[in-house]
Amino acid sequence: MAQTVSRSVPYDLSRERASAIPWFIWSGIVAVSSIAFGLYWDISWHQTIGRDTFWTPAHLAIHFGGILAAFTCSYLIFSNTFSRDPAAQSAGVRVWGFRGPVGAFLTAWGGVTMLTSAPFDNWWHNSFGLDVEILSPPHVVLGIGILAVSTGVVLLLVSVMNRADSDARAKLSRLFLYLCGVLIFQHMILVSEYNDPTLMHSAIFYTVAALGTPTLLVAYARASGHRYGATIIASIYMLLTAAGLWILPLFSAHPRLGPVYTNVTHMVPMAFPILLAPAAFGLDVVLNRFSNRSRWLQAVLAATAYLAILVIVSWPWGDFMISPAARNWFFGQNYFAYQVPPSEYHLAWEFERFEPTRAQFAMGFVYAWVSGVASFFVGIIFGNWLSRLRR
Amino acid sequence: MTLAPVCAAHVGSPDVYFQGDAGPYHLVVMIRTPQMIPGVAEFEISSDTPGIREIKIVPLYIAGEGSKYPPPPDIVNPSAGDPQFFSGKLWLMGSGSWQVRIEANGDKGSGTVAVPVPAYARNTLAMQRGLGFLLFGLMLLLVIAIVSIVGAAKREGQLQSGEQPTPRQRRSARLVMAAALVAVVGILALGNMWWRVSAAKRANRMIYVAPKLGVTLDPAGRMNLEIGDSKWHSSRADIVGTALIPDHGHLMHLFLIREPAMDRFYHLHPDRSGLTTFTDDLPPIAGGHYKVFADIVRASGFPDTLVADVDLPDLPGKPLTGDDAEANAPALTESARPNTSAPLSNGARMIWEREAMPLVSDRLLWFKFRVEDTSGQPVTSLEPYMGMAGHAEFIRSDFSVFAHVHPDGSIPMAAYTLAEATLGADSSSDKAPAEDMPGMAMMKSSGTPMPSEVSFPYGFPKPGLYRIFVQVKRAGKIETGVFDAKVN
Repeated sequence: MAQTVSRSVPYDLSRERASAIPWFIWSGIVAVSSIAFGLYWDISWHQTIGRDTFWTPAHLAIHFGGILAAFTCSYLIFSNTFSRDPAAQSAGVRVWGFRGPVGAFLTAWGGVTMLTSAPFDNWWHNSFGLDVEILSPPHVVLGIGILAVSTGVVLLLVSVMNRADSDARAKLSRLFLYLCGVLIFQHMILVSEYNDPTLMHSAIFYTVAALGTPTLLVAYARASGHRYGATIIASIYMLLTAAGLWILPLFSAHPRLGPVYTNVTHMVPMAFPILLAPAAFGLDVVLNRFSNRSRWLQAVLAATAYLAILVIVSWPWGDFMISPAARNWFFGQNYFAYQVPPSEYHLAWEFERFEPTRAQFAMGFVYAWVSGVASFFVGIIFGNWLSRLRR
Repeated sequence: MTLAPVCAAHVGSPDVYFQGDAGPYHLVVMIRTPQMIPGVAEFEISSDTPGIREIKIVPLYIAGEGSKYPPPPDIVNPSAGDPQFFSGKLWLMGSGSWQVRIEANGDKGSGTVAVPVPAYARNTLAMQRGLGFLLFGLMLLLVIAIVSIVGAAKREGQLQSGEQPTPRQRRSARLVMAAALVAVVGILALGNMWWRVSAAKRANRMIYVAPKLGVTLDPAGRMNLEIGDSKWHSSRADIVGTALIPDHGHLMHLFLIREPAMDRFYHLHPDRSGLTTFTDDLPPIAGGHYKVFADIVRASGFPDTLVADVDLPDLPGKPLTGDDAEANAPALTESARPNTSAPLSNGARMIWEREAMPLVSDRLLWFKFRVEDTSGQPVTSLEPYMGMAGHAEFIRSDFSVFAHVHPDGSIPMAAYTLAEATLGADSSSDKAPAEDMPGMAMMKSSGTPMPSEVSFPYGFPKPGLYRIFVQVKRAGKIETGVFDAKVN
């Protein structure tokens, strides 16, 4: 097998087996996966068991991911900084006298941010009560840390991928697409309150879907070099989310907080994924077709196609998801957290009017489109930068 | 006349002290409620009866839909050092009128008791100075670090190995760092704004505020009281309730204590004159500035203590009737020496059987009082007073603590009755609701002589100087012994 990564790259990769993926890539992928699945598990834990401590398995999975990523990247930074190999010395970027890959620095930064959120969160619990919301200030700090860890691992993988020859690049590209799918999965957990089928006839659903998600999709798709990168990444997100929906209820669990309005006997999963892949396919097609046009035009066309397909697909999908046909293990509309009284089940089976007036509804779609254009524009710039990253 | 809202369910004394029977086992229970809800309460249970193998404990609402759906109970084993002592934690996930259901299983079979626990958020915590410095330092470090990383990524991220950045790339990186710094500071400023709004909203929604108590005096010497609105209560109508239920046969227990000396004390029971209004024909009053505490219990069993201040003139008033009572005492001063004997009428006296050790706060203590006649012999003429062997009011010298306690503890009798009623027919507790309460048992046995002693389980919430008014009924007359206590 051919040499997979060029000899001049740092981290002493020559010691790796020729066809091997560098160990720190595996380590980073395990770390990010652990964080993302830990987050999913934690949400499920709150819906099923309720009683929350620092030591729940879900929390441990998140902490493990953060620590593993931070240690991996700290090792890379120290080994580069104190390496006697001039090639290694000159292959990283320099921050405060230390040398290492950009991704390693960002991941280490994310690890410290995650650690910072712990005493903040503890104080917040004592001062403002135990968690009843996802987006509390300390959780946002934790979220920023997780985002940095995840993005750092992406940068690390991209920099290796961009230096690799074609054989190794193909392998690394597959890992990269998986990693990006995990990151979209993770991002969707954070915005899950707005991903609900009951909002699929409201503009807020489309505004949230157009804010942030396109940035990640287009940037990662461009960095992957794959013609249908966004479609593949969105499909991986959908598959992971559906797997969570189908697998978690197989595990028996009981609430440990009351009142127990719904007699839960198994882990309660999160909802069925939104149908992101068709919209991602639309943006792949548009961006492939107009790749030589200005970035603004690409952003406008991509946002329009993405939103149009999302509306065409999600509007009737919402009708289906609130119907009795979706109240089964496959689509998951029959799962309720222990805190939900049966008298409130109907709220999951009818559309919420998030925008009370038609004017607000229309303005919501204008916001969605503007958000989409801005998100795509940022994503295109970020993607172009990623595709040239070497260190 | 003035009015001032303050605190709940006693004032400044949120923890629950209780004694009662879980079937064949006599339990003494202390529950430290959390400062913020949702939060974790701590409990300590000691059994006077040996032989308990395990305790099952679960918190649930007393009233409303939630009261029907408890989670599985926690099983608590005896402590390693004391087979009759149990401790642990309880998750209280919402404000309102809770009960802690305790099932004791052991050699004598099993029994259950329901202890009412009012849960409400009291205060947010200021950030400790050390933690504040630590987090601020970490924030600075992270800001500088992320700006540096962004600069490094721009300067060198796309260079081939060994390639050095050009001066232009260095300048460009500096510009990006400046932009990143502006962006990060902007994000922090927005975050700070959001944090403040979020914290204020949460505190506003969660923290208990007692309804205001309006107090006026009409020319005929009648006191009019009006209970104000409370958003905290109305937003929790299903689990707190706004209607009132009687406690010891009265909808309101009104205490007037002259400030600052606590030398005049009145325990009155106003009549209801409207949905939220009460009136009382005041007894003869010595003029002065009075602190007003009004104890009421909601339909869910949630107790409120409403607080107000009022200036009263000398009033000729009407003679005390029914369960109304008054007491005179020397002025309370910081130099006052704690006493263990208080004079009653006709030469009788009340003795506080204090243990030799100093009083300490935040710990369950037993307060035992004995009533003696002029010859020092225990009296045999005690009677139930409003269904209880006695009532005790613990008041801190600065009026920041007010607790109305009975021999069964700090819980309102009405809440206990409601909680016990939820145990249902399937409970192994075969007693009638409230029958096991010492005070109630004494009421039933009023045909036989009552003991000359009355005791109260209670814990001071904080150190300081306290005055304790202990009320009993002797030969048809309500007597009040007044004691002072310094608490470390």
